[in-house]
Amino acid sequence: MTITIYINGKREILECQPGDMLTEVLRKAGYVEVKKGCDTASCGACTVLIEDKPVLSCSYLAVRADGKRITTIQGVAEEAKKFAQFLTAEGADQCGFCAPGFALTVLSMKKELRNPSEAEIRHYLSGNLCRCSGYEGQIRAIKKYLEAVHD
Amino acid sequence: MEIREYARPKSMDEAMHLIHEEHGTAIGGSAWLRTNTKTVMLGVDLSDLGLEYIREFQDHIEIGAMTTYRELETSLLLASRFGKIFSTAVGHIVGIQLRSIITVGGTVAGRYGFSDLNTTLCALGARVVFYPNIEEDLASFIEKGYAGPFLIEKIILPSSARAAYQQMRISENDFPIINTAVAWMGTEWRVAAGSRPAAARLCRNAMKILADSANPSNEQIEAAAQESSKELQFGSDIRASATYRQKILPVLVRRALLEVRG
Amino acid sequence: MIDNFDSIPPADSKTLKATQKFNVIAHDIAKIDGEGLVLGRPAFADDLAPANALYVKLVRSPHAFARIISIDPSEALALPGVACVLTWKDCPRVPITRAGQGNPEPSPHDRFILDEYVRYVGDEVAVVAAEDEATAEKAAMLVKVQYEVLQPVLDFEKALDNPIVIHPEPEIHEMFPIGFEPKRNIAAAYNMEIGNVEQELAKSPVQVETTVHTQAQQHVALEPHTAFSYIDIHGRLVIVTSTQNPWHTRRLLALALQMPLRQIRIIKPRIGGGFGGKQHIHIEPYVAMVTLKTGKPARLALTRREVFEATFTRHEMRVKVRLGANSDGKLNAIDMQVLSNTGAYGEHALTVFMVAGSKTLPLYNKVNAVRFGGHVVYTNKVSAGAFRGYGAIQGLTGLESAMDELAHKIGIDPVELRRKNMIHEGETSDVFRIMGEGTEGVAMTIESCKLEECIARGKELIGWNPDRLVWEVAPGKVRAMGMAIAMQGSGLPLIDMGSARIEFQDGGFFKLHVGATDLGTGSDTILAQIAAEELGVDVESIVVYSSDTDNTPFDVGAYASSTTYVSGSAVVKAARSLKKKLIEAVAQKFGVDPAFVIFDNKTFKTLNGSKSLSLYDFSFDTLYHDGERMKTIEATESFTGAKSPPPYLAGFVEIELDKETGKVEVVHYVSVADVGTPINPNLATIQIEGAALQGIGLALYEDVRYSERGHMLSHNLMTYAIPSREDVGRITVELVDSYEPSGPFGAKSAGEIGIDTPPAAISNAIRNAIGIRLTDYPFTPERVLMAIDKAKTEGAN
Repeated sequence: MTITIYINGKREILECQPGDMLTEVLRKAGYVEVKKGCDTASCGACTVLIEDKPVLSCSYLAVRADGKRITTIQGVAEEAKKFAQFLTAEGADQCGFCAPGFALTVLSMKKELRNPSEAEIRHYLSGNLCRCSGYEGQIRAIKKYLEAVHD
Repeated sequence: MEIREYARPKSMDEAMHLIHEEHGTAIGGSAWLRTNTKTVMLGVDLSDLGLEYIREFQDHIEIGAMTTYRELETSLLLASRFGKIFSTAVGHIVGIQLRSIITVGGTVAGRYGFSDLNTTLCALGARVVFYPNIEEDLASFIEKGYAGPFLIEKIILPSSARAAYQQMRISENDFPIINTAVAWMGTEWRVAAGSRPAAARLCRNAMKILADSANPSNEQIEAAAQESSKELQFGSDIRASATYRQKILPVLVRRALLEVRG
Repeated sequence: MIDNFDSIPPADSKTLKATQKFNVIAHDIAKIDGEGLVLGRPAFADDLAPANALYVKLVRSPHAFARIISIDPSEALALPGVACVLTWKDCPRVPITRAGQGNPEPSPHDRFILDEYVRYVGDEVAVVAAEDEATAEKAAMLVKVQYEVLQPVLDFEKALDNPIVIHPEPEIHEMFPIGFEPKRNIAAAYNMEIGNVEQELAKSPVQVETTVHTQAQQHVALEPHTAFSYIDIHGRLVIVTSTQNPWHTRRLLALALQMPLRQIRIIKPRIGGGFGGKQHIHIEPYVAMVTLKTGKPARLALTRREVFEATFTRHEMRVKVRLGANSDGKLNAIDMQVLSNTGAYGEHALTVFMVAGSKTLPLYNKVNAVRFGGHVVYTNKVSAGAFRGYGAIQGLTGLESAMDELAHKIGIDPVELRRKNMIHEGETSDVFRIMGEGTEGVAMTIESCKLEECIARGKELIGWNPDRLVWEVAPGKVRAMGMAIAMQGSGLPLIDMGSARIEFQDGGFFKLHVGATDLGTGSDTILAQIAAEELGVDVESIVVYSSDTDNTPFDVGAYASSTTYVSGSAVVKAARSLKKKLIEAVAQKFGVDPAFVIFDNKTFKTLNGSKSLSLYDFSFDTLYHDGERMKTIEATESFTGAKSPPPYLAGFVEIELDKETGKVEVVHYVSVADVGTPINPNLATIQIEGAALQGIGLALYEDVRYSERGHMLSHNLMTYAIPSREDVGRITVELVDSYEPSGPFGAKSAGEIGIDTPPAAISNAIRNAIGIRLTDYPFTPERVLMAIDKAKTEGAN
């Protein structure tokens, strides 16, 4: 079957099977910034925004996305670059495999939470696993980023 | 999961027809479908039925079956009527990206052992409404199931309760080893425990000990807590043994009761 | 969840004296690939695979031990779109090892790409390739395999001399003596003794014996193992793969496939984490077989479950430590006896086991006698392999637990006990000379060791008070502290070799080609910093290309904490040599002796200032303008360490322990490390922070669980939970000022050391909290509570 999605502002008509999850369909269509890390809805690497809400594309039926607006990190590249400056300034990008999904969730958090405490930041982002950084450097980067963009 | 055919009905009647007559399989949140190796002949996607809502009525609250965990967690209405129990109970589950997908209806329908939400709903005295308009006590549905195919429309909660949730996990993103929710309903106490690892059950004997006092004594609380572990069955899995579960349930029940009583 | 984030703010800007000495080194340069990674630009193997590649799936054993009676691929082959089904009959009968190690490998050649026998659940049985992924999956399920199911050996305590022999095949062998005795289920064995341990123990007024059991652990690099292959225009096999060691991969693959090395090219793109888990050939042989068979490109990305069930884990070990000391705490003897579980195959069997001693025992170098020994045994579980910390974490957990027991017995501050006995600058240990990795070691004197400073700063950061190592915070809830110290190495001396080539380009920039393998740690950036510092230019003037066996010079790969020290030293040498060549070329142009030419601020000048030429202009001169003198100016250099200077670390932990439930939470973990000069303090800090959390994961949460029949029960991230960002209250890492004379700009390694202390430090904190030494990792709430209950019952009796 075919679905029509509006991805990063672009209309795409994609082929898929009814049981296909969105991650595979997006990657096959060239949106390889959507990463596949775990197969069990555990790691957050596949995060995309559907109608501006962060969801796991590995656990979202592609057919259900028919007609919907989808945003990957490439769809918010300018904002992502800004955040990347702060993340890399701490060295917290590390292997970067989880970074697109993680950064997208950070950008969502920025919109959703006003002046979050560190506990709130950690809680909001708890679905984004990272095995490299130990999270501390990411926290330092996020705090500085939020301070800078809120000014 | 392989899905041969897919339908996204626009009305409850149509959805009911597909499930009853065409042997369709209801798809709620769709999380974890990929880990399932079953083949489904007809997948019935419930996302266009307008079942995403949390509404307040004069003497109760209704939660549509397709309401996501994220909505429960962030609902100001639920927070004002039940305190922090929803955000505490579901806020631990993996991450917001998953909680924005998984639904109340899917969780209730699955009667999952590990569920944090089912334990909470049992304690709050929730009722489940199967379409068309068949209402049943949620705790008894979790225990006994439903004969034949069904379609959950909504969950009904009382208008308010003072409630608390406690759980034990090895690490924060893991499934619970054991969990409990307790609620003072205004006239009676309700105590439920889940992830035993089997599904949530009411601790009826414990509830009896607490009886109808809003301010049970420490002794009553301790007795109820101890009773909770005697009246339920516990099992072992990779996270913990039955013995451990049985040992710490009273601790969690006591802490939850003290939290509510103050 | 512990929420103490306001009371302990995150660590920030490190003020190291080293920063002042350098232009680029010891500065926090952002990773050169960082922005591209955040934006998700195609970078990983699965992002880059050609669209027409065949999808490869593996048929895996459902049995822990079995002989394959027959494989019938006919139904699978009948499926439209299936390209091939390959079995052990399609493979050369050549025993290999999958361990990415030097040549000859210290691991036994006890494995075939595919074999008639399968030795763990998940072992490869057949290779299926099809035009799309769904067809490949379906075809893999249609391959009919008949097994003769054999009785497995699952308990490593019962493997030695078990009547069931896991490796009876006659062709397998060791490459040099490693104590390999497959008939006894021994993959490797080793023993050494300096002095007379039994005598020294007997003489010692205080003795302790502690045995710990550390579990297998999964790496969980976020990117699953992924590779694709194709035949290039010259008919050569090219494999793009998430590997930590391209050259070892090429060499092992050539042996496995019986191909000439020159016919294979390995390219490592970006990798999504390694931690040792990609220091092996797990997937490359299978894509290669399909490409060789069909002539078509082939791709394989393991599922997370396959990564869990069928790559490698950390070696499970039982470590018994006996200490003998005087009543003032002076150590006389250490005896460490180890049993290690290598699983079905012997990758890294000997070396991980030896490191349990070689990278722990020299910490306490003032003993009169020290002994180390034991066996590495086969079982029918997934193989163990390399994993950050590699033996050191297991050995250290035993040693540092025993040290705290000794402190309790004597009644002295555990910190003081360590200070009394630990190694200092200018000292050595005979262990360095005797124990290497699989071979004899290399004698060395320690030229940099700031353990005293690490300990002093760690005490401050955690608020260490030996009279108050446990206190109550609420009824039934206590907080407690514990600590441990650690050492590692920096590459394998006289074994690891890395090379670098730097070439001067028009426009005045430099191509830096290194064989070194950036796993996401930032080593490309670090090596660029080293080149820039030595050349006297900015980092932007260095363009890095790495890890391609055709296009970069040789390097053993990223393991054994080697990249900064070994590959970094090669970069220093290459830059130095290139700078000399540049100055010589300019001197010739100026018509003066090279001794009179200096290079500064991207300009060549004569000493008297009479002549001057910009780097930019000279770059065009040497390539376009200078007639007969025109040439490419480049330098290639190699480095192998004559020693392996250890970094040192002091780890301190504050835990909260709930005595009613057994739950242990880490409130604060402090690691203060001596890594020499941190080339990039940010990246060094993050290595240690990330490693600390992995160590905490091992101590408290992570466990590889099996059913009674050998099926892995914890085979995904729902059943094997790694630490999330809400598990630990705070990790604070600081680096102390230190300078290692033998390292590049004073650097030592930072990649592994951070993982070593948490298991022992947490164990010591729990011991302080409840008076009980827990010995079986991980310390789950159940294990802690059961220990408390047991002690109560025993106390009551």
